[in-house]
Amino acid sequence: MASDMKAVKLRIKSVQSTMQITKAMELVASSKLRRAKTRAETARPYFEELHQTLRDIANGNTDFSSPYVRPSSADGTCYVVIGGDRGLAGGYNANLFRKLEADSAGEPGEITVLPIGKKVVEYAARRRIPMLSEQFAEVAPIKISDCFTIAKLLCANFREGKYGHVKLCYTTFISMMSQRADTFPILPLNDLEESEDPEHLKKIRNLILYEPDASQVFDAIVPEYLAGLIYGAVCESVASELAARRMAMDSATKNAQEMIDKLQLNYNRARQASITQEITEIVAGAEGV
Amino acid sequence: MKTFPLKIGTPDGLLFDGEAERIICRAITGDLAILAGHVNFCTALGMGKAEVVLPDGQRRTAACIGGMLSVMDGTCRVLATTWEWQDDIDIDRAREAKSRAEEILAKGGLTDQEYAAAEAKLRRSLVRIGVSGR
Repeated sequence: MASDMKAVKLRIKSVQSTMQITKAMELVASSKLRRAKTRAETARPYFEELHQTLRDIANGNTDFSSPYVRPSSADGTCYVVIGGDRGLAGGYNANLFRKLEADSAGEPGEITVLPIGKKVVEYAARRRIPMLSEQFAEVAPIKISDCFTIAKLLCANFREGKYGHVKLCYTTFISMMSQRADTFPILPLNDLEESEDPEHLKKIRNLILYEPDASQVFDAIVPEYLAGLIYGAVCESVASELAARRMAMDSATKNAQEMIDKLQLNYNRARQASITQEITEIVAGAEGV
Repeated sequence: MKTFPLKIGTPDGLLFDGEAERIICRAITGDLAILAGHVNFCTALGMGKAEVVLPDGQRRTAACIGGMLSVMDGTCRVLATTWEWQDDIDIDRAREAKSRAEEILAKGGLTDQEYAAAEAKLRRSLVRIGVSGR
């Protein structure tokens, strides 16, 4: 009985120290989250307007002189995957990879990954998916200038024909409680066209005037557009990661508390049982005298 | 005069969302102005002074660096890398950036990449100083 009590006591102690850690991680995540959320919210209108504008251009475009616009001849897709640097964020990374797998299963040709976030680098290495660059392994310190470097790298490789499509795979920050992994095509612009809509096909396209000409305009705006989208997605993903971690750690703390309560009850029961037993022994001993 | 919906956005947020009478911008080929009823249009922005004329005739000046300008079905969207209203420009920082960039360029012995970065920095600071008019 005494050894049982000691074991329970030890168990309680270990759960308590784990709870302390999860509690601290939750606090850290929620204080970081506040900043990340503001950043994601300020970047969001730009992100949405940019995407909308490029979709409009893709829908109305009739000039296919620029390689960024015309339907791609090369197979192969490059995924820009934005994940987390660390684990312990609930299903955050797993959901992202599941989405990536589901999306890439239908793609013809080879798949390349441009990982942003340590967990993504680990994932790609484990899966033996070729990586374009491991330069951007950490997602937390990524600034807008890094996004421009990424965009230039993507454009250069795209023009060389290393891959025919570029897709973005990230996590949308919907609210503190929910985040959703998402992918969408970003290059060539032809992929952005909403062609499934039969109404759209019937509609007469409004011609767009490019100044000075389409290929020069696209050469200048496509890297900016990529950088803007990647930056927006990074902001959203970082906020999502922190929100997911806060939630996961919150429930871990709650579970630990529940476990402690249960163990404490067991401990008390064992203690009571040992006292009762002692009394019985003493009484029985007294009767025997 | 007729007005048109104008949106100006940068990664730091949506800086303008409303009606405007006219916008003047520096594109890669030179200055251009957009009025209401413009045909669908798309161009890339250069570095320079931009001016928005509001419906009440008020003019607002800004430093505009890089990005794109598009007009789609009457709505004009300016998505710039940097867009700073005249009053928001940090002139001391711009002057500091200018002198720093000049120092780097004067020192010489740079790689192409470093040279381009320093030159871009100098040009950005010059635009800011020019627009602020101080």
